[in-house]
Amino acid sequence: MTAVIQAVLNGTMMGSMYGLTALGLTLIFGVMKVVNFAHGSLLMVGMFAAYWLIKLTGMHPYFALFIVPPFLFFFGYFMQDLVIKPVFKAEQQVREPLTVIIVTTGVWYVLDNLALMLFGAEYRTVRTAISGTSFMLGEVIVSIPKFSGFVVAVATAVGLALFMKKTRTGKALQATSLDREAANLMGIDQYRIYNLAFGIGTAIAGIAGCVIIPFYYVYPSVGVVFDIRAFIIVVLGGLGSIKGAMLGGIIVGLIESVFSQYITSTWTEAIIYAIFLVILFVKPSGFFGHKQDW
Amino acid sequence: MSRKQLDLALLGLAAVVSFALPLAIESPTYLQILILLFFYAYLTTSWNLVGGFAGVLPLGHSVFVGIGAYTSTILSLQYGISPWIGMLVGGALAALVGVMIGKPTFRMRGAYFALCTIAFAEGIRVMIENLDAIGPFKLNGPRGLLIPLKGDSFWNYQFMHKEPYYYIILFMLILVLALTWFISKSRMGYYLAAGGDEPEAAQALGVNVARYKLIAMAMSSFLTALAGTFYAQLMLYFYPKGLMGLDLSFEIAFIALIGGRGTIAGPLIGALALRPLNEFTRIYLSDQLPGLHLVIFGLILIMVMLFQPKGLTPPLAKLYDRLANRITGDKAAEGASK
Repeated sequence: MTAVIQAVLNGTMMGSMYGLTALGLTLIFGVMKVVNFAHGSLLMVGMFAAYWLIKLTGMHPYFALFIVPPFLFFFGYFMQDLVIKPVFKAEQQVREPLTVIIVTTGVWYVLDNLALMLFGAEYRTVRTAISGTSFMLGEVIVSIPKFSGFVVAVATAVGLALFMKKTRTGKALQATSLDREAANLMGIDQYRIYNLAFGIGTAIAGIAGCVIIPFYYVYPSVGVVFDIRAFIIVVLGGLGSIKGAMLGGIIVGLIESVFSQYITSTWTEAIIYAIFLVILFVKPSGFFGHKQDW
Repeated sequence: MSRKQLDLALLGLAAVVSFALPLAIESPTYLQILILLFFYAYLTTSWNLVGGFAGVLPLGHSVFVGIGAYTSTILSLQYGISPWIGMLVGGALAALVGVMIGKPTFRMRGAYFALCTIAFAEGIRVMIENLDAIGPFKLNGPRGLLIPLKGDSFWNYQFMHKEPYYYIILFMLILVLALTWFISKSRMGYYLAAGGDEPEAAQALGVNVARYKLIAMAMSSFLTALAGTFYAQLMLYFYPKGLMGLDLSFEIAFIALIGGRGTIAGPLIGALALRPLNEFTRIYLSDQLPGLHLVIFGLILIMVMLFQPKGLTPPLAKLYDRLANRITGDKAAEGASK
C-alpha cells in the first residue's frame, strides 16, 4: 500500500513538471494555433541556463527563478518576432499553418545541436543546497526538490490563469486566441500579442528548467523527453487550456509512475502513446478544449 | 532546337551521367554517399505522394522503412525467403499499416495529423524495441537484426561491391519518379491536389478526397517499405532506434520541404542540396564539433522557409526556363516568362 501511495505521490510531482512544460506549449497554441516543436528545446535552454548559473555562482536554485525566466522571455519574444512571424505572415490565410511548424522544428534542431556543440553529449547534474533532501509524510518519502517543483508548477498555473483573466494584456491574449481578425479590429496588435504569448510560454519553460534541474540531469536532447509528453498532455487536456495542461500532466505522470511499478519503463512509454491515440480518436478536443479548435 | 528537344536532351544526359558515375568513382566511400543520396531522394519522393500532393504533413514515415526492413530480413533469416520477395511482403504490410493510420487521421487538422503520425510511429517503434519476438518472428528488441554475410548473390540481395546497390537504388528512384510524374498528370493527381488545397470544395464537387488520400497513403507506405529492405541489405545491420526513429521521419520531411513539396523534382533537389552537406560535415567535422551538421541543417531549413516557403524548386525552375529559352532562342517566351 505504501508503495502505491509513494508511486502516486511521485507521479503527481513528476507529472506537475510535465504539466508545467505543457503550459507554455498550450498557451502558444491557444493564442497562435501553432504547435511549437521547439518547446522542449527551449526547456533545455532553460535547464542549461539554470545549470550554469548554479554551477558557476553557487546560488540557490530558486534564486535562479528570478534570472532564467526573464532571460527566456526575451529569447522567446525575439525568436517569434524574427523567425516565426515572417513565415506566419506569409501563411496568414491558412487556419492551421504547417510551414510554421516546420520552422519551429528547424529551431529545435539548431538549439539542440548548438547545445551539443557547446556542452557535449554527457548527462550533467549539479548539486544544489536541496538536492537529495527529503522529508517523511507518514510512511512515504517526499523529495524536497520535487515537492518544491510541484508547488512552483501549481503557482505558475494559477498565476497564468489569473493573468489571463484579470489583466488587460491577458484579456488581449484571450481575445486574439478567440478571433484574431476581430481582435485586430479592436486595435490589438496581433503580432505583438504573438510575441508576448511566445515570450510568456518560453519564460514558463524557463521556470520549469529551474525547478527540474535540482533533481534531473540535463543534456542537449533532454527536451525530447518532455516535448513528446507535452504534446500528449496538451491533446489530453485540450489544446489551449491551462487547467487541462496541469491535469493532463499529472495524469501522464501518474500513469508513468504507477505502471512502472508493474512493467518496465519502456513499456510505460508505449502505453502513453496508446492512450494518446485513443484520446485523439475518441475525444480529440480533450478535457477542456474547444471543439472548433480541432 | 525546340524546348522539348532540349528538355529531353538534358534528361538523357542526366541518365547517361548517372549510369556512368560508378565507372568514374573509385572510392567506395563516395559511392556510398551517392547511394545514400539516391536512397533519401527515393524515400522523399515516396513521402511526397502524401506529404506533397495530398497537402498533409506526415511525420512518421520511418515506421514504414522499419516494417520493410524487418519483414524482409525476418523472412530471409528465419525462412530462407529471398529479400526480393520479402520486400514485396513488407511493402504490402506497410501499405496495410499506412491505411490503418490514414483512415482515422486524414479527417484531422494539420497539426493534429502531424502529431498523430508521430505518435503512431513512435508507438510502433517502442513496441518493437520491447519485443524479443512477435509469435514465431524474432525481432531481438533494441539490439536489432544482423544479416549474416553470404557473399555475392543476387538471390540473397547481397553484393560484395557497392555498384549493384547503386544501380538498384538508381533504378528504384527512376521508377518512383516516373510514377510520381504519371500520377501528377492523372486524374488522381488533380484530385489529391484539390483535396489538399480546398478539401470542402473538392468534396462538394463530388471528389472522394478521403479515398484518394488513402490510395496515396497506401502507395507511399508500400514504396517506403521497399527502401527499408534496400537499407537492410546495404548495411546488413539495423536496430529500431537507428532505423525507425523520429530523426529519419523528420529528415524525409525536411528534404521535401527544402526541395519543394508537391513538385516532382523537389525531393531530388532537396536531397542534392542537403545530403552531401550532411555527409561531408559528418565525415570532416563531427570529431571536432558533433552536431554541427544538424545546426546547418536546421538553419538552412529556417532560411528556406523564410525566403522560399515553397522550397528551392520553383526559383530553380524559373531560372532553368530563362536559360532554356535563351538557348533555344525563343525570344517571345523569354519575354513572357519575365
